[in-house]
Amino acid sequence: MENFGNLMDGFGIALSFYHLALMAAGVLLGILVGVLPGLGAPNGVSLLLPLTFTMDPVSAIILLTSMYWGALFGGSTTSILFNIPGEPSSVATTFDGYPMAQQGKATQALTLAFMSAGTGALFGVVLITALSTWVAQFALKFSSPEYFAVYLLTFASFIGMGSASPFKAVVSMMLGFACAAVGMDGVSGNVRLTFGFTALISGISFLVAVIGLFGIGELLQTMEEGLRFEGLHARINIRDVFHAIYTLPKYWVTLLRSALIGCWMGITPGGPTAASFMSYGLAKRFARNKENFGKGDPNGVIAPETADHSAGTCAILPMLALGVPGSATAAVMMGGLMIWGLTPGPMLFIERPDFVWSLIASMYLGNVMAVVLVLATVPFFAAILRIPFSIIGPMIVVVCFIGAYTIAGSTLDLWLVLPFGILGYVFKKLDYPIAPMVLAMVLGDKAEDAFRQSMIFSKGSLGIFWTNSMLVASIMTIAMLLLFWPLIGKLIGRLRRAI
Amino acid sequence: MQTPSATLVSRFAMEVASACFVMAIGALVCFGAREFGIGWGDAGPQPGYFPFYVGLIIVIASCGVLVQALLQRRDRRESFLTREQGGRILAFFGPMLGFVVLSVLLGMYVALTIYLCSVMVVQGGYRFHKAAAISVATAVISYVVFEVWFLVPLLKGPLEAWLGVH
Amino acid sequence: MARIKLTATLLASALYAAAASAAWVPEKPVEFVVASGAGGGTDTFARTVQAIIVKYKLMAAPVVVVNKGGGAGSEGFVYGSATPDDPYRVTFGTNNEYLLPFVAKMGYTVQSLVPVAGMALDEFLLWVPADSPYKDTKSFIEAAKKGEGLKMGGSQSKDTDQTLVSMISAATGAKFTYIPFKSGGEAAVQLAGGHIDSNTNNPSENIGQWKANMVRPLCVFSTEHMAAGPKVTKDMGWSDIPLCKDSGVPIPTYQMPRTVWLPAKVSPDAIAFYTAILKKVSETPEWKTYIERSSQSDRFLTGDALRAYIKQDAERAIEVFKREKWIVQ
Repeated sequence: MENFGNLMDGFGIALSFYHLALMAAGVLLGILVGVLPGLGAPNGVSLLLPLTFTMDPVSAIILLTSMYWGALFGGSTTSILFNIPGEPSSVATTFDGYPMAQQGKATQALTLAFMSAGTGALFGVVLITALSTWVAQFALKFSSPEYFAVYLLTFASFIGMGSASPFKAVVSMMLGFACAAVGMDGVSGNVRLTFGFTALISGISFLVAVIGLFGIGELLQTMEEGLRFEGLHARINIRDVFHAIYTLPKYWVTLLRSALIGCWMGITPGGPTAASFMSYGLAKRFARNKENFGKGDPNGVIAPETADHSAGTCAILPMLALGVPGSATAAVMMGGLMIWGLTPGPMLFIERPDFVWSLIASMYLGNVMAVVLVLATVPFFAAILRIPFSIIGPMIVVVCFIGAYTIAGSTLDLWLVLPFGILGYVFKKLDYPIAPMVLAMVLGDKAEDAFRQSMIFSKGSLGIFWTNSMLVASIMTIAMLLLFWPLIGKLIGRLRRAI
Repeated sequence: MQTPSATLVSRFAMEVASACFVMAIGALVCFGAREFGIGWGDAGPQPGYFPFYVGLIIVIASCGVLVQALLQRRDRRESFLTREQGGRILAFFGPMLGFVVLSVLLGMYVALTIYLCSVMVVQGGYRFHKAAAISVATAVISYVVFEVWFLVPLLKGPLEAWLGVH
Repeated sequence: MARIKLTATLLASALYAAAASAAWVPEKPVEFVVASGAGGGTDTFARTVQAIIVKYKLMAAPVVVVNKGGGAGSEGFVYGSATPDDPYRVTFGTNNEYLLPFVAKMGYTVQSLVPVAGMALDEFLLWVPADSPYKDTKSFIEAAKKGEGLKMGGSQSKDTDQTLVSMISAATGAKFTYIPFKSGGEAAVQLAGGHIDSNTNNPSENIGQWKANMVRPLCVFSTEHMAAGPKVTKDMGWSDIPLCKDSGVPIPTYQMPRTVWLPAKVSPDAIAFYTAILKKVSETPEWKTYIERSSQSDRFLTGDALRAYIKQDAERAIEVFKREKWIVQ
């Protein structure tokens, strides 16, 4: 229980008035950048970075991580209210969060999202506290075949998610892969599928596609039905918030499963994005009423949010212990670490235990504080939905385009939003599932890189995915089981009937 | 679809059109992938391998969609877009397209002011001075938040240059 | 030495005076365009410069750092040169600015940007896992000559790491399978986990793992020993690392410059302004700490000296590109 003692020391440092004030300031700023379009956690953290140059490292990291938590919570807000995910990892939240908001249950959706995110984060920190040394060792076991296996598992948990036509699901996912392949190929260094447009060398930004597909596509559909949000006049009061908190324990199975998936994906550096998608996929698979998913099922909000945040918190550990940042925001923080004079890596735990453990302690405090602060903003944000649609509609359009422009400061992205918007609208009306396309866009190039690196390792033999380690073999087996589950399920059903 | 209105585009036509469009994209991807070799080299797949087969699967799957559409005859009578809906979509999409064109020509601040104001007056039925106030306020707030607080530059045009704002 | 220092100081104050009276001073926020993702070597470089400028108030206008790491950094150079006469976009990179256009079709040419300063030279080392059977460079190279050779990891494809690996192969006859990862940090973890046999990381990319005794250096690609500092592990410090040229790898030196660029058509006044600022940055104790901590070589190059360096560096790399048939066009 050496870790516990260390943690108490950490609390000793983190629980000062100055540090608590920094946390509150960080969380509030974070919520602000999370909610604003085009500003995400990476922007916010890089802008605060210069301020921290003169601070002591412990205070600096507390400020930056608190901002990160705040931004994550803020990002879920826009996913639910406007169908515009702020970060890749909150895309899965839009699937059921936005339908809930449309049905007038915005307060409930927001509250559930924040509470389950908070639960997930706390679950992650507890795990970090208990297993810090072991976890860092575990992450070292991951090489390209293991990465590929994890991505395959994520895809597999999404296959067979039920749509009108399997052809349409395939078309949608493959279009996502095709978009992900545009631009420079990391393995060979060749520039693919740009057809001579140099602006495409850095690829089609996944966020631009999502803004078009979800933001504009959804608006087009709302417009077609005649200028209104359904459930516009839903009453919003603080009692709804408490009521939603009260219902949360009902979903304990989803919470627990999602937190476990999140922690697993955070430690094996699969990342929060893969975690949230996988968790959503599995929640739907295990649900009794699969038809409710995508139409505003609370489980569809709780699952991705819990997994996202537990993965996000767990990912901090390999980042500190191995020096490999799990997300863009983590990367900026690592840059900060170096400027403050710390070297991320295995020795950080030994050389600067005060830094590491006060950071972990601040993760407990910061997340609790973030949940409280963000819940206080729920009535305010939910009230936005009461603004007449003829004002809020065009405002969302402006917000979408500002968001698209700020990603890379490129006018090409402004134009790209339009075709993606039309595609999202047409696909939705024709029952093409859009989620697989987004998943493939986010993870497609990573999966391809991992696959091809593995092939270089094995000199072109596919056997590496079974022989490289026990780990990769077991993940691959689970992935295969999931992939063929519909078939296996049918087989079992037939056998039962035969008996 | 409470109000009966003449069908502008049938679902069947849209299914066929989108399948063909997707098929064309698939073919384009296949074509583009050929540039760097689509085979399986000594070190596993060549750069074009995945894109090529992704393109090929798109083509095959969209054929599947096409065949399904042709077989399901009920789609022929179902409507995709009625005349009224088409009008609404156009009324929304047109100004949005205008907004993008204006953004590129005049910068985003000017474009968003004109766009918000005109949409609110023409479609929302607001008085001009109220709409103008709201849209100018939005532009100013965006400027303060993005450029001043967070130092994120948005696209600017001749007006900003003339005013000396940066 | 003292004389050089004096000259440098005089030069600096002269430049400062020039800058002070120069026609050009920034009047709005200056963008530092980083041609790499957040957290990479170039990112730390740019942010350190930013930190020093902020701390010493070397510039009245605020500095905004933007990361444009897409397409192996080409996104940064395309963005940095988008408006040829805009003095508010300062681009930070390595030798990739003048090498990338040779290996892939890019949205910019080498001439789209002018070099302002080279501020440091980053070293390359040959690393193996701590439990590797190869105790020195010789046995490592011998092992790589046998059979199918050894697995070498590095950051990106057709970039500095792979170029160096190709040079080692050509110089010694050793065979390597090169596996490109997204970053040097990733290659470091793959090495520590024992998934690859070696990598050619920069000192700052592997120091964490070395301190923890997970990896160890075999040799450094340099003509002289690295600067002495505190021991990194119990019995070894940077200056104890053998030179590759003495250990059977006849590559005397391989370094990567940390460079700063401006769009090609910027006025000479603006170039002079930034040169003076960067010169001042390079003289602060914070800069020395950065150089020391990242174990780079402190070398400040501008003007003709910088151009000459770039020309020579490019020629050598292009030779490799030609041999490996990486050249496009």
